Amino acid sequence: MSETLLVIEDNEQNLYLMQYLLEKSGFTVMGARNGRDGIQMALTQKPGAVLLDIQLPEMDGCAVAVELRLHEEMKGIPIIAVTSYAMVGDRQRILASGINGYIEKPIDPETFVEEIRRYF
Amino acid sequence: MLQRFSLLPVVLLIFSALGVPSVASENRVLRVGIYENAPKVFVSESGRPAGIFVDIIEHIAKGEDWRLRYVPGTWTEGLDRLAKGDIDLMPDVAYTADRAAIYSFHKESVLSSWFQVYARKGSGIRSILDLSGKRIAVLDRSVQQEAFVRLTAGFGIAPTLISLPDYKTIFEIVAAGQADAAITNRFHGVAHAPKHGLEDTAVVFHPSPLFFAAYKSIPEQVLDTLDTYLIDMKSDPGSVYYGSLKRWISGEVHLKLPVWVETLGLILAVVLIMSIAGSVLLKRQVNARTRQLRQINREMEQRITQRTAELAEAVEKARAADRSKSVFLATMSHELRTPLNSIIGFTGIMLQGLAGPLNPEQHKQMSMVQGSARHLMALINDVLDISKIEAGQLTLAITPFDLKASIEKVVKMVSRAAEEKGLDLKLDIAKDLGTANTDQRRVEQVILNLINNAVKFTEKGRVAVSCRMEDGQYRLAVSDTGIGMKPEHLQEIFKPFRQIDTGLTRKYEGTGLGLSICKKIMEMMGGTIEVESRWGLGSTFTIRFPVHSGALQ
Repeated sequence: MSETLLVIEDNEQNLYLMQYLLEKSGFTVMGARNGRDGIQMALTQKPGAVLLDIQLPEMDGCAVAVELRLHEEMKGIPIIAVTSYAMVGDRQRILASGINGYIEKPIDPETFVEEIRRYF
Repeated sequence: MLQRFSLLPVVLLIFSALGVPSVASENRVLRVGIYENAPKVFVSESGRPAGIFVDIIEHIAKGEDWRLRYVPGTWTEGLDRLAKGDIDLMPDVAYTADRAAIYSFHKESVLSSWFQVYARKGSGIRSILDLSGKRIAVLDRSVQQEAFVRLTAGFGIAPTLISLPDYKTIFEIVAAGQADAAITNRFHGVAHAPKHGLEDTAVVFHPSPLFFAAYKSIPEQVLDTLDTYLIDMKSDPGSVYYGSLKRWISGEVHLKLPVWVETLGLILAVVLIMSIAGSVLLKRQVNARTRQLRQINREMEQRITQRTAELAEAVEKARAADRSKSVFLATMSHELRTPLNSIIGFTGIMLQGLAGPLNPEQHKQMSMVQGSARHLMALINDVLDISKIEAGQLTLAITPFDLKASIEKVVKMVSRAAEEKGLDLKLDIAKDLGTANTDQRRVEQVILNLINNAVKFTEKGRVAVSCRMEDGQYRLAVSDTGIGMKPEHLQEIFKPFRQIDTGLTRKYEGTGLGLSICKKIMEMMGGTIEVESRWGLGSTFTIRFPVHSGALQ
C-alpha cells in the first residue's frame, strides 16, 4: 500500500512519531507544521488522507478542515483529527467542521496505524 | 253720680299731690364725684365723664330713671364732698372699716383690683426691699397708702411717701424724677404708666374690692338697686358691665378674675407652653432623627450602589478568571500532553521493535518509561478533570453507544495488569443492556477507574465486574477480594485529595482524585456511586445511572 498521507502537526516530535509509524506501515507521508502550509500542500500534492492536529498556531485544525472542504478535489478525502482530548465541546466542534474521525492523543503505536486504515 | 264725677278731679289732685314724693324718687337726682382715675372714672377729652364706673352708673340710672349730675374734682375733694353730703356717690372706692364709718357701701363690688408700684425704666426696683429709702408717690388718703405703709413696716423699711391728690400728678412727678416710684391701682397703671415712660415693677399688693361709696344718709333703696343691677350684669356676659370692661381695658378683663382662675390659667398656660415647647422639641428631634435616617439611608444606598458595583466588578473578574482558567486548562492540557504524547509514542515504537530489536533489559526499562509516562498522563487527566469540576466546566457529551462493548473495552485495558498479578478477572454482563445514551467517554472513565482500583488493591483472588438493568437503570458493580477498607474510611474516599492512609501509601500511587471524579460524573448523569467494604476481605463499588442522561443536559 503506497497511499500518500499529509500530516499537519506543529510539534516536531509528534510529527516525526506519526511519520515514522505510518512510513513503517508503507505510507508515503508529507508533513506540514502549520495550517497554511498544510492547505497549500494538500492542494498541490493531493494526498489520499489528511491527519491534522487541532491546536495549531495561527489557524486551528477545524478552520483548516473547513477550508479544505471548500475545494472540490478535497471533498471526498478522509480528514482525521489527532489531538488530545481537552475541552468540552471540542469533539462536537471537530466533527462539525467536516472532519471524518478523531484519534486521541497520546497515540498508541500498536493501534494507531490500524485506526488510520479504517478511514480508507 | 254728678257728685262723683265732680269729685274725680279732686281725688286725682289729691293722688297727684300725694304722688309727688313718688315721682321725685323715680326722678331721683344723684350727684356723682368725678376725678381722674382712668379707665375707671375720668373726664374724657370731649369733657364728658367716662370710665367703667360711669358706664355702670349711667346704665343703672337709665333703667331706674335716675338723673345724674357729675361733680368734677380730685380724689380727695370727692371724698370730702361725699362725707359732707355735697355728692351722693363716689366711684371706685375700696372698702375699709374706717371708710364704712364715714360712708355707706353697697355689697356687690364693682371691680376687684390691687395696687402696683410703677417706676422709671431701669429703676432697678424688683422687690419691696428695693423701695427702702425711696420716695414713693401715692394717692392721698387712699386705701393703698394705708396698705403700703403697713406692708413696708412689715418688711422693716420706711420709704418716704409723697401724698398727692390724683394719679395723673403721681405719674408726672415720678416721670419728672421728683419721686422714685408711683403707686396706683393696676387698672390705671396698665393704661397710663407707659405714657409717662414708666414701667410696672414686681411689687404688687393689697387686692381689694372696689365700690361706689355713698353719702352716709343715702336711701338704702339706692344701694340695693346698685347691688341688684351689678349682680344681674355680672351674670350676663353680654351686659353693659362686660361691654364697658372690654371697651376701657380691652383685653384686660381677665384682671378681675379670681386668683385661683389666674393661677389655674397660668398653670395651664405653662403646661400648654411646655407641651408646645415639648412637641416643638420632639418635632425637632424627630426631624433631626429623620434627617439622620435620611442621611444614613443615602449613605446606605451609596454603599449598596458601591458594593453592587464592586460585586459586579468582582463577578466580572471571576468570570474573566474563569475564562482565563478555561484557557489555561486547555493550554496546559495541550502543552503537557504534547511531550507526553511523543514519550509514550516513541517508547511504544521501541517496545514494538519497529526501530529494531531490544534486548530484555532494554525492553524492561522502556516498559518502565512507558508505565511512568502513562501514569503521568493519568495524573494530568485527573488534575484537569477536578479543575474542570471545581470550575463548573465539566459537562457531558451525550451520544448513543453500546455499553456492553464499552465495558469489554475497559476490561481489556486492565486485563494485562490483572493477568500479571495472577488475578481472576470475571465478567458478568447481561445481554439486554442495549444502547446507552450518555457520555460514553465519562462512563468508560468511571468503569476504568473502578476496575483499576480493584486490580491495584487486590493481591490475590479475583476482580468481578457485573452489569445489568435494575429498576430501569444500569447497575454496574466491581467487587474484589483485596485489602478492603475500615468503615471510618468509607466516608472519606469520595472526597477529593483524600487518600486513605493505609501505611502502604507509597505502594499505591495516585492523586486521590479518581473516586471523587467518579462520584461527580455519576451525579451529573443522574446516577449514584456506593461502596461496601470489609477490612481485609475486599470491596464492592456499585454505580447506578440512567439509560438516558439527555434530559439532564
